[in-house]
Amino acid sequence: MASSQVVKVLIVDDDNFTRRIYKTMLFRFCFEITEVEDGKNAIQQFVDGNEYDLVLMDKHMPNMDGVEATRTLRGMGIPVKIVAITDDASSKDTFMDAGANKFLLKPLTFSMLTDILKSFNFLN
Amino acid sequence: MASAPLKAQLTDLLNSMFAMDFLDEQFKELQMLEEASGPGFLAEVVTLFCGDAERIISQLSVLINEPVVDFGKVDANVHQLKGSSSSVGAKRVALVCVKFRNVCQENDKEGCIAALHEIRHEFDELHKKFQTMLQLEQQIQVLDSK
Repeated sequence: MASSQVVKVLIVDDDNFTRRIYKTMLFRFCFEITEVEDGKNAIQQFVDGNEYDLVLMDKHMPNMDGVEATRTLRGMGIPVKIVAITDDASSKDTFMDAGANKFLLKPLTFSMLTDILKSFNFLN
Repeated sequence: MASAPLKAQLTDLLNSMFAMDFLDEQFKELQMLEEASGPGFLAEVVTLFCGDAERIISQLSVLINEPVVDFGKVDANVHQLKGSSSSVGAKRVALVCVKFRNVCQENDKEGCIAALHEIRHEFDELHKKFQTMLQLEQQIQVLDSK
């Protein structure tokens, strides 16, 4: 886990509305949340030395898509849990091959999120 | 309770929106989130969605009326609208977005124009109902706080 006890989550999605919903879901767990609009900014977060326990990664984004961002993070040796969340069902294999830990189809529901968090032992 | 008739009106409105497929189960997820987050969350996301949708639909109108249509940009915008409409539970808008993407991927300008008209219609209908919903919620809050 990242250095503090609080679970740190990075939301990577170009849609402001989607990020707002994810934030509201995650606030219930008192997680620390950062949001960025594309894969390139996601990579920059790690380059800047930030640590995260979980990344919620969209696929279709400007500048750098989620698959490329995932592949890049793994190439950098970043072991963070990456959950791909997209409405593009055909991208599952690509995402998993790039190094994602889980793949979910949008829209994300609270129970889907809770199941994922439990599977990673992020919930006490 | 003074707000009871308004609450009944709101319930009827929401029931009809679900029955007519304006909304789907995802909207119920947002209602559950509001219960945990406190009042105002649903109003915020609905307002956010409507603002985003309006902006995207305006942008689509510009793109489709270009002499040479950039179907890639059109598709990207429709994809974004589909995503946010699915996330808010706007079922009919999301379904039209699927049709729109299909004609877009065939580089069918006339099909895109027709799909845009349909999205405009569906969104306008939904927007009116959302506005009524928010007004009712606001009135209920005022009465309940007295």
